[in-house]
Formats: sequence, C-alpha cells, structure tokens
Amino acid sequence: MRAIYFKVLMVLLGVIFLPSLAVGEDKITADDIIDRASLANYYAGDDGTAKIAMKITDRAGRVRTRELTMLRLDIEDGGEQRFYVYFREPSDLTGMVFMVAKKVGADDDRWLYVPAVDMVKRVAAKDKRSSFVGSHFTYEDVSGRDTSDDVHELVGIETVNDRAAYQIKNTPKDVASVEFSYYTAYIDKDNFLALKAEYYDKAGRLYRTVTAEEVSVIDGVPTVTKGRVSEVDGGETTVEFTDVRYDVGLSESIFTERYLRRPPRKWLK
Amino acid sequence: MRLTQKIKVLIVVVVSLFFSLSIAEAGVSGGFIESAGSFKFGDDKAEKNDTNLLELRAQLRYRAYPEILEEYSGEAFIKFEVLADGYDESVSPIVREGWLSLSPVDFMDIKAGRQIVTWGTGDMLFVNDLFPKDYLSFFIGRDDEYLKLPIDGLKVSLFGEKLSTDIIVMPVFTPNNSLIGERLSIFDPISGRIAGEELDRFYEMPPKTPRNLVTAIRVYRSYRGVESALYFYDGFYGEPKGIIDPLRERFFYPRLRSYGASLRGALFGGIANIEGAYYDSRDDSDGSNASVENSSMRVLAGFERELPRNIGLGLQYMVDKLLDYGAYKRNLDPTAKARDEFRSLLTVRLTKLLMADTLRLSLFNFYSPTDSDDYLRISAAYDIDDNIKATLGGNFFTGKYDHTEFGQLEGNDNLYLRVRYSF
Repeated sequence: MRAIYFKVLMVLLGVIFLPSLAVGEDKITADDIIDRASLANYYAGDDGTAKIAMKITDRAGRVRTRELTMLRLDIEDGGEQRFYVYFREPSDLTGMVFMVAKKVGADDDRWLYVPAVDMVKRVAAKDKRSSFVGSHFTYEDVSGRDTSDDVHELVGIETVNDRAAYQIKNTPKDVASVEFSYYTAYIDKDNFLALKAEYYDKAGRLYRTVTAEEVSVIDGVPTVTKGRVSEVDGGETTVEFTDVRYDVGLSESIFTERYLRRPPRKWLK
Repeated sequence: MRLTQKIKVLIVVVVSLFFSLSIAEAGVSGGFIESAGSFKFGDDKAEKNDTNLLELRAQLRYRAYPEILEEYSGEAFIKFEVLADGYDESVSPIVREGWLSLSPVDFMDIKAGRQIVTWGTGDMLFVNDLFPKDYLSFFIGRDDEYLKLPIDGLKVSLFGEKLSTDIIVMPVFTPNNSLIGERLSIFDPISGRIAGEELDRFYEMPPKTPRNLVTAIRVYRSYRGVESALYFYDGFYGEPKGIIDPLRERFFYPRLRSYGASLRGALFGGIANIEGAYYDSRDDSDGSNASVENSSMRVLAGFERELPRNIGLGLQYMVDKLLDYGAYKRNLDPTAKARDEFRSLLTVRLTKLLMADTLRLSLFNFYSPTDSDDYLRISAAYDIDDNIKATLGGNFFTGKYDHTEFGQLEGNDNLYLRVRYSF
C-alpha cells in the first residue's frame, strides 16, 4: 500500500512541477527548441491543405514557375506523415501526382502518378538534399529534416524581423551525407516557427539562406505564408502558400492508389 | 452497323452529351504542338528511306465536371490530337482518350470510354499488362507515352478495406500496332530474310462477337509499403502469333488467357519488384500446332535505386520459357529456324537530372543474352522554358541474327529531335 501512495504522490508532484520546468525559459534546451520547431513548422494541426506557387529564378535570371496543391496528414505528431502533391502548372506536368509516406528513422515510400499513361510508379528514395521539383528548396526543406540527424546547440537570442528568436547551431552527425558543414536556425521564441536558416559550406562560407518572409495566423495556427531560398552565388526560389487550411478532415484513404489515379477534386479545388 | 462503329458512336454521343450539359466549371485544359523528325542512318537492309519520323502533332485536352453528376464526382475528359504525318503524307484526327468517370457508391469508381490502362511492375517491360502497345512509335522516337495505346471499354474499380479490384471489359479487342515492314524493316519468317514495305501482310482480327469480349482483372493490396497483386486476362495475344496461310502472309491473333502475380516494395535503399505470368495459348493448349504460339511462362525481377551523384539506376531481368517445347520442335517445319526454349532479357536504365532538373539525360539498354541482340535508347530532354521542351534522342539496334526481336531491326538506327510547345 505504501508503495502505491508513494507512486501517486510522485505522479502528482510530477504533474504540478514538470511542465513549468519543461517550458521554463532558463531550462529550455536546444533539443527542446528544435523538437517544438519541427512540430510548429511541419506538424501544425492534424492535417492541412495549401496551394503552393513557386517562382524559380536561376543564376542567368531565367524564371520558371510551378503551381502545386499539397495535402498533408499527420499519422503521429513528430512521427509518420502522408503527403500528396498535385501538379497544376506548368501545363506539361498538369495532373501529375507525387505521394510520400514519410517515416522517421527509415526511408520514405514514394510514388509518382503519370497521367498520360495512367501509370503508378514507385520511386526509389532520393537524396534528401536534392532539389524539390527543380527549385532551390530541397526535399528536406519541404517535409522537414529529421531532428536526430544533427547536434543542436543554443548559441543565443537574436532579433529577426523584429521578433526574438533562438539562434541554434545545427551540426550534422554524418557530415558526408550533406553538402553543408553546419547551419544556423533562428526559431521564433514565441511560436517556434523557423524565421531564418543560414547554411555554411565545408569551407565555412555562408552559401544559402532560407527565410520566412511572411507569417500569418490561420485557424489560430501561426503559419509561414511566404518563403524564400537564396543562393549567395545567385539564383533564388520564392514560395507562396494560399488557401491554407488546417484540420479539414483528410482521411488516410486519400493517400492510396485510388486517389493517385483519380485525384480527389474535393481537396484540390 | 458494325459493333466497333456502334461503340465509337456511343462514346462520342455520351461524351458530347456530358460536355453539352456541363455548364459546370471547366477543369484543367491544355495541350501542345510538337514537331518531330528523325534521321535514319543504319546499314538498312531493305528500306532506303532516310527518315521514319517526320510529323507535326497537336494535342488538345479538355476536362469537365458535369453538374448533374457532381454528387457522384463525375468527370469527363477528352484528349484529342491531329497528326500531320510527313511519312504517310496524311493528316489524321485521333481521339487518344475520351471517357466519363464517376463514383456511384463510396467504394466504387467507374470509367467508361476510350482510356489508357497501365498496371504491373515492369519498366518498359510488360508481364501482366496485356493492354495494347505501339512498339513502332517506341522504336522511331516518339514520346514514351505513345508506347501505350488506349482501349475502348469499361473499367469498374472496387475498393475494400484490404483488397481492391479493377475489372476491365473491352467489347472489342485492340491489338498492338505491330511492325509490318513500314518505317522499320523487319524479319519475314516466311521468306527467311529482312523485308520492308514490299511485305504485304494481312493480320486477321478476331470476329466482333460477344464471345470475343476481352476481360482483364487485377486484385491488389498495399500493406506496410509492400504492394502485391494478382492478375487475370482473357482475350488475345497482342501480336499476330498465329499463321493462317504462310504463302499468302496471312496471320491471326490467337486466344490468350493469362494468370499472374506481382510484388513490389522497398529493399536495400531502393525498390525491388518481381512479377510472373502463365500464358495459356488456348488455340494450341498442348503445343502440337506449329502455326500457333505455344503456352509460356514469363518472370521479371527488377531493382531500382539512386546511386551517388544523384544518378538513378534501374536493372531488370526477364525470362520467357516456351512450354511444350518438345511438341514445338516435333511439329516445326524442318526448314524453319527453331526458337530457343528460354529467352532472357536484361535491361539497364540510367537517368541523371542536371541544371535544376531542366536537363534530363536517360539511357535505357535492352540486351538479350540468349538472342544475342541489343537495343539502346538514349535521350536528352531540355526545358528551354516552362512551355518549350526539346528532346534529342536515338535508337540503336544490333544483333547476331536476323530473326531476333532487336536483331531484325538492325539497320533501322535513328537519331531524332522533338520540339514541343505546351500550353
């Protein structure tokens, strides 16, 4: 009996004190910040839909555009997710669908639907640092980098876009798997959105910057609605999210072969 | 009116009806204009043309969501093309797709009309996908998508918790666009030599009767990233693998019933697939008829993954085993060259994206160790901007013997250029 009382007491104490310790400003660790940033940036709501317009400018100043609709469903917060990316523009890609079952600690499953021949193709996992649809964004920028791939270090507090932000230095555990030596992320102290990330090459030179250009509160969720990647040597991609909605009630069945072959118009309008 | 004509008229009527009714918002519409030309340079054994591709193609796509079918997620789609063919000196309208789809109930989708159907796990190799192909387009340098021909029919898909099923019914059989000696010189088994346009072959189509209805069924499941499927097909061989009258070059499409299965999933950081089928040649079940293709087995295994430097690698190995081989040998015309019991094929695909994905390089090689022949496809596709794409490519054939699939095409090597403006 005594043992049970003791356990109950400990649990009560835990309930009362632990949360205040966890969010206590002085005690928050770099790992906590990165975990919360991952949830805020990539797991908002239980699901979400958005239209994405990308403008890709290469070094020579040539401009290309991409229009996509993305559907996302979280199977578990901070864990497995489903993505459905429907191509609207340019015209020769219209109707193409790219679908990902994102896993943590394992390779993602990916499919591509080619409408011209009604073909569902399984796609081998790609280098996560390779370009997303020819833009300056990488696959990792779009669906999030595994938080356990880096060692995180809280450097200080900086002001970015008039917002107080945690400055975190992230050093990859496997340096050979990426093109950067480290990157510095600036995480909004208040809502944990990533406001800026600066990537340094193997020589320690800044070569790439990802910035949140506009943040709006949608359905009560702080959301990056405009972003930009710029390469120091020239070339940039801007991205704009419109019609952003959360908790629309996507079901897992959307992310199956049926809806690859027959895009769910209800969610793509 | 013949059955095919009736079906065609029906498709046109139904689809136009829904287009006229649909005041609903039009969905995606678009299309392209493409010009394509090739230079044929091989040591041609029969044909003396220096090109086998010189054409201008316009495509228009129209998609509509008829209001009266909104409740059933109704959708109508037309893909219409006009092809001005400099080789044939002809201009022809082509309805490449024209269908109506809807979900009468939650667990069912129906798609009726002219449509393209693709299934199975092979990359440019087909085991259980017995829908019509156009190898002529494939060999002369048209876009990959033209390898598939549409079917006229009805597709009913049922979706269950675990298993899903596609049932496709084609009232009229559509054969492959077989090589007949035009554009590409081929081996003529009757005369035993390579022949071109002088070949006067006749391929007899199965009579259009209800008994000759073609059915294809697939039952599939995806579980923890592993996709499995069972297939059934009841119809005819896509190629005219039956001889009616050798002297008058008359051939027919023998009856085929096929049973197959496939598996596809992640393995060693890539994607592995295996697929097999048993082809029952129903007009020659015991292999005793030398004029009709014997039954056979086909097995395909493939693996695909990304190599360092973002190079995509795909490998496939496929084996065909002719069944009742003893009966085949016994009944063969003693003067004819006997096929091997086994035919194997090895393919390698390499792809590389460059310049922010605007330049796509591709190499696809088919090599048969048993037939000692080879087919190499290379291409470089460049997006000049979002609307204009140029593709430069080549098709190269070599073979030790004249009678093999790629060996017969030796001398038909070509380099092509396609420029497409999409809108």
